[in-house]
Amino acid sequence: MKGNAHLYDGQSAARHAVQVDLSEDRNALVITGDSLAAPVVWPLPDLRALGDHADPSQIVLTRHLDTPDESPRDPARLVVEDPEMVAWLHRTRPRLHRKDLRDGTGRRIALRLGGALAAVAAMIFVILPALANTLAGLLPLDKEIAFGQGVKAQMERFLGASELGALDCDAPAGRAALDRMVARLTGGQDLGYPLSVSVIDHKMMNAFAAPGGQIVVLRGLLDKAQSPDVVAAVLAHEIGHVVHRDPTRHALRTAGSVGLLGLVFGDFTGGTVMVLLAERLINASYSQDAEAKADQYAYDMLIAAGLPPSALAEMFETFRKEFGDVEGPMAHFASHPRLATRIDAANAASPQETPHRPALGTADWQALRTICKDRG
Amino acid sequence: MSDGNYAHGDYTGHGKALFWLALCTGLLTLLTLGIYRFWAKTRIRRYIWSSARLDGSRFEYTGTGLEKFLGFLLAVVFLAVYLGLIQIVLFYFGLRIFAAPQTPEQALAQTAGFSVSALALMPFIFFAIYRARRYKLARSRWRGIRFGMDKAAWGYAFRALGYWLLTLISLGLLTPLMTFRLEKYMTDRSWFGDAQFEQQGRWTALYAKMKHIFIGLVLMALGGTAAAFIEEPASLLTMLAVLAIPTGLVWFVIGVISYRVQCFAYLTRHKMLMGKIAFHAQPRTAKVIGTYIVGSLILSLLLSVAVAVFGGIAALMLSGLDLTAPDSTFEPGMIPPIVISVAGYLLTLIAAQAGALALITQPILRHYVQSLTVINIEALAEIHQRLADPGADAEGFADALDIGGAI
Repeated sequence: MKGNAHLYDGQSAARHAVQVDLSEDRNALVITGDSLAAPVVWPLPDLRALGDHADPSQIVLTRHLDTPDESPRDPARLVVEDPEMVAWLHRTRPRLHRKDLRDGTGRRIALRLGGALAAVAAMIFVILPALANTLAGLLPLDKEIAFGQGVKAQMERFLGASELGALDCDAPAGRAALDRMVARLTGGQDLGYPLSVSVIDHKMMNAFAAPGGQIVVLRGLLDKAQSPDVVAAVLAHEIGHVVHRDPTRHALRTAGSVGLLGLVFGDFTGGTVMVLLAERLINASYSQDAEAKADQYAYDMLIAAGLPPSALAEMFETFRKEFGDVEGPMAHFASHPRLATRIDAANAASPQETPHRPALGTADWQALRTICKDRG
Repeated sequence: MSDGNYAHGDYTGHGKALFWLALCTGLLTLLTLGIYRFWAKTRIRRYIWSSARLDGSRFEYTGTGLEKFLGFLLAVVFLAVYLGLIQIVLFYFGLRIFAAPQTPEQALAQTAGFSVSALALMPFIFFAIYRARRYKLARSRWRGIRFGMDKAAWGYAFRALGYWLLTLISLGLLTPLMTFRLEKYMTDRSWFGDAQFEQQGRWTALYAKMKHIFIGLVLMALGGTAAAFIEEPASLLTMLAVLAIPTGLVWFVIGVISYRVQCFAYLTRHKMLMGKIAFHAQPRTAKVIGTYIVGSLILSLLLSVAVAVFGGIAALMLSGLDLTAPDSTFEPGMIPPIVISVAGYLLTLIAAQAGALALITQPILRHYVQSLTVINIEALAEIHQRLADPGADAEGFADALDIGGAI
């Protein structure tokens, strides 16, 4: 094994034409050249090649050496183009492409990773929620209502409304029945928000609260509810969200955490999917808590209004029949707690003996169920 | 190649090799949920750097994936706190000031209010741009000698903000001033071994490179004026307006590319190393645009074939299922086609990125390298090594802020 090559000594930009030979003990490369002051000796086990090199016919050698550089490598480079020598190196030197890590690399990774995770976790789970709570409290009521109207409008468009209010149901008799139900629930107490409950003509079985006291009930929920008590229970739950300012806090927190997550997952293909999944997961942990609190609020409100909290359980039972419950790991991604848990809690909250008067009389209940009938 | 005291740049990379490298590293990035991207970038740079050759010696990229990963983690700590706070506070003030948009004007104002958060990031973005260039230079070697750049990222960030503001106020008329001064700031702080670079030339010389931008603007203005005076639909004025506006627009876009290519050429021709070594660069705008168009055409052709194949398979598998049935719930039979569709979509994206690298980025780079000449190459032998730059964040800020471009 012997041949010509070029050496860059790592000290000057000169290009040395050199001869490469094996040492006598066959354990090192000896590099000699007219322009070199003394022969350079590189032990064979320390030889390393540069990876992902564009020219497969040559090998650029360096050697493993503890330097202050980014990798523990000698700054000198030996460019080998002699085909025999290239083949010999590939054949006899299995460690050419070894990655050499400095001592303590694992500790450095663990330290930085821990630091970054702690910073992100502290932001997402402590600082942003606290800030969102404070800011939600500071937001003037009229601004919050205006924001809520924007959110509601967006939701309506999402449900297929061509223009604002196009899907609103307001048959007068149904409207009056709904107002009577809300009045009975709130019992004249001041919620801190002007409640505005509306019904939208959509077959989905759902209801939601937007910021600033806006509650929207979808027609599908009225269709599927077995009794007026069930609708009252759902309303009480949504009023709970309103009083706790959940929608506003949610919007503020999401604004902070989405930007932050985009930063963590970066710009790679599929990164957006990761951001959405992570946001869902974080959001779920908060909203499950918010849902449980809204349920609790609903029990108290229902009992105060002389209605059984078990009506909420009836609603969840219908949900479970329609869609099934979330089980296993998927439960962490769901925005609501498990239905089975909520049904048990609602039943447990119901007093044994209640003098029960339905939330609406038969005529009113019929009127509410047909609130969307003569629309448009 | 060297002829006498001149050395011409030379680029030997192959499209196929780069494509497979980018495809494999892209897949690994996907499988590792994005973590491998630091190693992917490193490996692609190693290939590209080692493809460029000057006077018979190849360049070398010595950056490592590990240091990029660690630098990114460092940047995350700073930016997480800063970004999270800025975004939530701005959103709050956006709500407070603008509330719900009632009119399109208000919606626009609100969007503008929210994009202030991007403005709050501007200093960091410029900071990251300088740091990224410093890192790239610090990890580039030629003949075993390190390139390098002084630590001056904040100085760059403040100047860049100032020049951007000037450019904005002057409606773009001072763009050459910004281009020149910012490049000079970076070049004058760049080194090869112990030899310093210097940017010479005058900023006013860059106005000539804006020629095609001005022609495009004038054409569009002419078309607009003609349109304003149209009285009868089939007149000469109508024809003028219909022709001049789109022509002007295309001309303007070409003008912007031309400005960038020719500014690079001018600025390179007026760089000096050690006061002795000069450079000559003659990239052709037509070649750059042509490469871009041809590359995009081939790529979109290949992609549409791939999409048709994947889409066809998924459609075939879905066709047996009745998805329109009322109250259709989730069926197990839907899983394979959905998985195939998502996987196919992500694979196509990765292949598209790898293809763009091999068919567009690399050929353009090849053109730039091959049209570069170094004058007085022999003086390079006097240059000696410089100290290693630890490069604290190793592009971490640039990565976190999604700056960086193709390579």
